[in-house]
Amino acid sequence: MNPIRKQRLYALIAILIGSLLATWLVVSALSENMNLFYSPTEIKEANINQDTLIRAGGMVKKGSIYKSKDSLNVSFTVTDYQNELIINYEGILPDLFAENAGVVVRGNLTPDGTFRAIEVLAKHDENYMPPEVAKLLDSSE
Amino acid sequence: MIPEIGHIILISHLVLSFIGGTLPLVAVYTKSKYFYIPVKKLSVFLFMLILMSFMILVYSFLVDDFSVAYVSQNSNINLPTYYKFAATWGAHEGSLLLWILAMNAWLIGFIFFNNSKDEDYTSTVFSIACQVMFAFSLFTLFTSNPFERILPIPPLNGADLNPSLQDIAFTVHPPLLYFGYSGLLIPFAIAVAAMLFRKDIKEWAGNSRPWTLMSCSFLTMGIALGSWWAYYELGWGGWWFWDPVENAAFVPWLLSVALFHSLIASESRGVFAKWSILLSIFAFATSLLGTFLVRSGILTSVHAFALDPERGLFILGILAFFIIGSLLIYSIKDLENQPTHSYELSSKEFGFLLNNLLLVILAVSILFGTIFPLIYEAITDGKQISVGAPYFEIILFPFALALGLLQGVGLYLSWGSSSSFKFLPRLIIESISIFALVLIILFILFDNLYLTSFATIFLFSWILMGTLQISKKRNLNYWSFLRKRAAVTFAHLGMAILTLGVAVVSSYSLEKEIIMAPDDSIEFGNQTILFKNTEEIMGPNYFSKSATISFSDGSNSYDVLTEKRTYIPSGQLTTEAGIKTELFQDLYISMGDNLEANIWSFKVQIKPFIRWIWLGALLVAIGSLLAGIKRVRRV
Repeated sequence: MNPIRKQRLYALIAILIGSLLATWLVVSALSENMNLFYSPTEIKEANINQDTLIRAGGMVKKGSIYKSKDSLNVSFTVTDYQNELIINYEGILPDLFAENAGVVVRGNLTPDGTFRAIEVLAKHDENYMPPEVAKLLDSSE
Repeated sequence: MIPEIGHIILISHLVLSFIGGTLPLVAVYTKSKYFYIPVKKLSVFLFMLILMSFMILVYSFLVDDFSVAYVSQNSNINLPTYYKFAATWGAHEGSLLLWILAMNAWLIGFIFFNNSKDEDYTSTVFSIACQVMFAFSLFTLFTSNPFERILPIPPLNGADLNPSLQDIAFTVHPPLLYFGYSGLLIPFAIAVAAMLFRKDIKEWAGNSRPWTLMSCSFLTMGIALGSWWAYYELGWGGWWFWDPVENAAFVPWLLSVALFHSLIASESRGVFAKWSILLSIFAFATSLLGTFLVRSGILTSVHAFALDPERGLFILGILAFFIIGSLLIYSIKDLENQPTHSYELSSKEFGFLLNNLLLVILAVSILFGTIFPLIYEAITDGKQISVGAPYFEIILFPFALALGLLQGVGLYLSWGSSSSFKFLPRLIIESISIFALVLIILFILFDNLYLTSFATIFLFSWILMGTLQISKKRNLNYWSFLRKRAAVTFAHLGMAILTLGVAVVSSYSLEKEIIMAPDDSIEFGNQTILFKNTEEIMGPNYFSKSATISFSDGSNSYDVLTEKRTYIPSGQLTTEAGIKTELFQDLYISMGDNLEANIWSFKVQIKPFIRWIWLGALLVAIGSLLAGIKRVRRV
């Protein structure tokens, strides 16, 4: 084989191996780390496995925030103005978390129909609305 | 009146950049003196225009001209003067102006320091850059005019700059990032001109290299500052979130690193010509794509720019025009690509090929994960998903490992023929000794060893020794080391230090959420944390509740202040973390909620070696800047 063709062959093999490896990595990593987003209505209608990590969101209902006095437990209700979902969380809430503001949480459903959040997403602008929630509100109007 | 002058100047910039984007090309292709315009003078004139326009916007901020809509949305009478100045690029419209300014500055740099005797080629580069600037000016004027007025009754006071942006690091971070992004315009314009003129690969690669290196340096600094700012300002101690906007900067960074490595091979050996051209195009494309993703608001991101689909479509249009245009030229022009040298499997060329392959596949995988929610939404008819940080970590790890292993031996490889691998046993032994030494130090410092960090710590030792040995081997004296090897040594050492920082901080970090009343203390890691007292503080445009916390390791104690600030105009709440920085660790505490009376929740963290991440990034930036400047002066 002449040297030029040989070096093209090397390059081709390297590209092939690299891309195959990457594709395999991407597919396997993606299938494990993809979190679907559900509105309170969708959660009510769909039958969601309690072991699956999902994201939920909506507006924080006014007067629904209950903070414990001696622990970091907090619960609040999110609404899409059709259905509601009670969220339980243990931890410090982001600064921009407030009543009547949009919120997105990540976690899973529990047997009693509430949601156990492991993460409450913080946005650093008070006017900002997570796109998921904005879309939700548009469609329910 | 003054904002209108700024507006008119911006319009003249638009018109002139259109002329600059067309006439020189007409002159080159018709060979007619009639269309000739002096590009040097025009580039300076364009720069003066955009600079004046920008200064007028700065002025409007400084004098609190709230009749300008952009000023009224992003400033306030009570905002400290320095932040009024920095608020100019605090949101979308001003950022764009700064972006055009940065592109123009790079263009001047290229026009004045480029030594090519080929005037047609130089003015073609100029022309293509002008076309991009024209598109940006058009975009600014039509969708995001910073000089728009609120008339006849302007508001008496502005809405204020987003409080989390009222910070020194923030004021420097966007300009650096914009200079990084916009610098990629030059390699792009050079690549297109090189195709049109079928330039010799060695020549155009040499033209392109310094600008690619410098853009990469600015991108590195911009990204690192952003990471540092997020670490202390967002209040929760993370340094990288895999947020779409971070990925939007990371992807062009990866491609610019790939590009300048590929250009080394192109300039020295005349290989990878087509590849370097495609990389130049795509590095620029991803910098535009990042803007599109961030500005259109179609992805959930911590960066809250106004959500405006119209803007998104406009940027997509610009992107499509330049990418399709340049790829069309690429497919039409027959780029003769017979390598002048052949190379073996163990040659430097092949090393660069692997380096590029890894960087590009990594970039594509990260980009894919970033835009996958959009793809998914499109194919499932509106179902929304997010791709979590673990996806990106799973992808990054094997590629970073391979890149690091390659980096350790890369500097030893020689051009063309088989390299000698006699250095290998020594490198392995030395890396293992350094690896063991680091483990001992970590054990002494933190009483613990984590298996998960071993691979990355070894990588640090490997890159470190691979870089140091080769520099020592050259046996250069101090001065010629600085001249010849300093840039690459700094950059590669920077990567080693960054790797160590990431390795340690991701395994050894401790965090805990606690509840304390004044005078309570709690044991955490090797520290005793004492909540001393709370205090009310009045700032220039905020009031805050603050807590004084003392960290004590038994022999020394140190007080930090953490605050819960309420900014007055907007009522927005921010958390200011209290951080004690040491060489080997940061002690980090941030105030949470007031549970009752004087009882507060806190999040406390120990972040070992976190500073090393930014220190490493700084070295990388210095190294690539040195390499870039050196090459500008040489040509």
